[in-house]
Amino acid sequence: MAVDMRLPAILKQISLSGSKGAAASLVVPGDVITTDTGFMRGHGTYLDEEKLTASVAGEVERVNKLICVRPLKTRYNGEVGDVVVGRIAEVQQKRWKVETSSRLDSVLLLSSVNLPGGELRRRSAEDELSMRDYLQEGDLISAEVQAVFSDGALSLHTRSLKYGKLGQGVLVQVSPSLVKRQKTHFHNLPCGASIILGNNGYIWLHPTPMQQDEEAGGYYTSTEPVALSDREVISRLRNCILALAAHKVMLFDTSVLYCYESSLSHQIKDILKPEVTEEVVLQTRHRLADQEG
Amino acid sequence: MAGLELLSDQGYRLDGRKSTELRKIQARMGVFDQADGSAYLEQGRTIALAVVYGPHDVRGSRAKIQHDRAVINCQYSMATFSTAERKRRPHGDRKSTEMSLHLKETFEAAILTHLYPRSQIDIYVKILQSDGGNYSACVNAATLAVIDAGIPMRDYVCACTVGFVDDTPLADMNHAEESGGGTNLALALLPRGGQIALLQMDARLHQDHLDTLMEAAMTACKGVSKVLDEVVRQHLQETVILTGE
Amino acid sequence: MATVQISEAEKLYVVHGVRDDLRVDGRGCEDYRHTEIETDVVSNTDGSAKVTLGHTNVLVGIKAEIGKPKPMLPDEGYLEFFVDCSANATPEFEGRGGEGLGIELSNTLYKVFSNKQSVDLKSLCISPGEHCWVLYVDVLLLQCDGNLFDAISVAIKAALFNTKIPKVRIAEEEDGGKEIELSDDPYDCVRVNVENVPCIVTLCKIGHRHVVDATLQEKACSVASLLISVTHKGLVTCVRKLGGGSLDPESIFEMTETGKRVGKALHAPLMELLQKEESLGSKRQKVGFLG
Repeated sequence: MAVDMRLPAILKQISLSGSKGAAASLVVPGDVITTDTGFMRGHGTYLDEEKLTASVAGEVERVNKLICVRPLKTRYNGEVGDVVVGRIAEVQQKRWKVETSSRLDSVLLLSSVNLPGGELRRRSAEDELSMRDYLQEGDLISAEVQAVFSDGALSLHTRSLKYGKLGQGVLVQVSPSLVKRQKTHFHNLPCGASIILGNNGYIWLHPTPMQQDEEAGGYYTSTEPVALSDREVISRLRNCILALAAHKVMLFDTSVLYCYESSLSHQIKDILKPEVTEEVVLQTRHRLADQEG
Repeated sequence: MAGLELLSDQGYRLDGRKSTELRKIQARMGVFDQADGSAYLEQGRTIALAVVYGPHDVRGSRAKIQHDRAVINCQYSMATFSTAERKRRPHGDRKSTEMSLHLKETFEAAILTHLYPRSQIDIYVKILQSDGGNYSACVNAATLAVIDAGIPMRDYVCACTVGFVDDTPLADMNHAEESGGGTNLALALLPRGGQIALLQMDARLHQDHLDTLMEAAMTACKGVSKVLDEVVRQHLQETVILTGE
Repeated sequence: MATVQISEAEKLYVVHGVRDDLRVDGRGCEDYRHTEIETDVVSNTDGSAKVTLGHTNVLVGIKAEIGKPKPMLPDEGYLEFFVDCSANATPEFEGRGGEGLGIELSNTLYKVFSNKQSVDLKSLCISPGEHCWVLYVDVLLLQCDGNLFDAISVAIKAALFNTKIPKVRIAEEEDGGKEIELSDDPYDCVRVNVENVPCIVTLCKIGHRHVVDATLQEKACSVASLLISVTHKGLVTCVRKLGGGSLDPESIFEMTETGKRVGKALHAPLMELLQKEESLGSKRQKVGFLG
């Protein structure tokens, strides 16, 4: 057994020097961004007597005439085409309610899923009755955002073989703003596991599947135990992602992989100890910077 | 004012402050990971901890759902060991229910609730150590927590209590001064626009003095807002540097 | 209890992991998460401690007040427990939501700590039958991520270690009455002997094995758990089965053995840490929540 008890350490002060450029575009609620009326009002701003004012603390983003303020941390704001990982919260008539750390529960309509067998057909009353056989409360799914309703709730779909019910693996939850938007959010990492980086901050780690079983339509889950070697990789990845998230490093395949490699000299369970976390994250940062520079 | 000299002839108060001087405010945003937003705030020896959950689906009765805006749900509670005399219950008594209501009203004025129809925002504030000005510490901590959660607000909400002794307003009263009796005015202000989110005054006061007292309270709130602003900007810069963008 | 939802497949993954002695976060079955302890964090108390165990975060404040001894035990003081499941920890606890859990926790704590074997209750007596010290132990849950009992017990032990009860003098008055005088000097105080204060170990039965320090996720995979309180000598002071499922006697025996071993081993690093903190005294910068 192992117990690691200690006194809390004082957080290191981050030097704020050399960041003048960034500071200019940082605003807090109530800051007037511009008094010029020629701009369009985006998220995170409001008009206060003709003055465009920030309503959240964050960075100002300008796209042509549109001004937005992106808060550092917020609930997930879905956009059409985003890949998300979510948990079924409720089975309702003709639809599932899905928890996606968005501000309202997302909706997965029975008509937006591929039913087993893969054939495209009208959804019958039987399908409606057997909805729980496909997905029940607590199940995890990967899906794509199909539409955003007027009240901000998301409508999801799983009409592709890469989406669907998730089997054995580990879910890690981080802030949505830490997941970097990329071309693909599905990766088979060379270290031996696969990762789905949901745009909503839900990250799914699972053993790389042997072959895609098309007939199952994504509703069959293997009950075979996962090999110990795969588990070790997954657990290490999990702790690496948490370490990166704790130090607010953007998450994408390369940063996760670099962190994984930097952590190899430590035991898996030690990665979450503050000093090891710091060391591993620092190495990752250096490697990322080297690659860029 | 029996017995206690709240303001000496030289113009100093019991704890050595000048009449307009605030207590030292220290704060940190993002203390907990599980909540959407959180903040810790020390105002002198008064300590408040605020967490924000949401916006999320309305829990409990569907009747609460507002179709054009978010519902704000507040709970104020005090740790049983927070006061000099042990409290029997952390919340649920009249005083804390009243405080919860005040907090709700204050933040309904500041948060842009119309952006989040059909949702709910929970603000929970806990007093860990009480030394006067509990309401203002709560509001200030909750403001930071709401900002940490990335929920849009019109402006900061800053609160401060002001007392009135010997024709002089005393800013940011501590427990000893509060319990000395006399007038006590609590004000929550949206500093930039000078809008008042909450105003409450206990005990009587001559109408002629009200202006002076309000003026002093506004100045004190603006003082608080400066400190909060520093905390937020510091937090903002640190995070931006870490994310490396 | 704060709960998390978990799918069948995830459950399977956790159970198989426990079987292979590799948990989701890389720990073995008998490993604790990273623990941070700090005492003397709230100044309105006579003793306080804050414990962070993974994401579980508890704050304990102890207030000493003068009360009347219980009629059955006139020469002993006593401890009172209160657990505040505040809404800060999880919105589920809002209003009266946390009351049930709070009562369950405080009753167990009462059984574990408020007896002669754990705390020297006689030392809390001021004058037999008339006055004694009552230690009000108030636990505040700030964040829940499983294993509340262990975290609370460590926090209570640390807070008791930190508790300073003012010295009292009993002055006889002329008319025969007694008056209690409290010492004004903050350094003139009595400490509580924490040598025999037990620590709680909660063992969660997952599949055919059991784990210590289960996270909420792991707890969702287990049917029942066993709570054991153990002193530094390995003496078991309380055993309780928690949760809805059932356990067979065989596994209870195994779990008790593990619990004893783990519980005994908890005390040494804890005491070492507390003494180290004390010896640093005012040289150490307080961390608290400001970090």
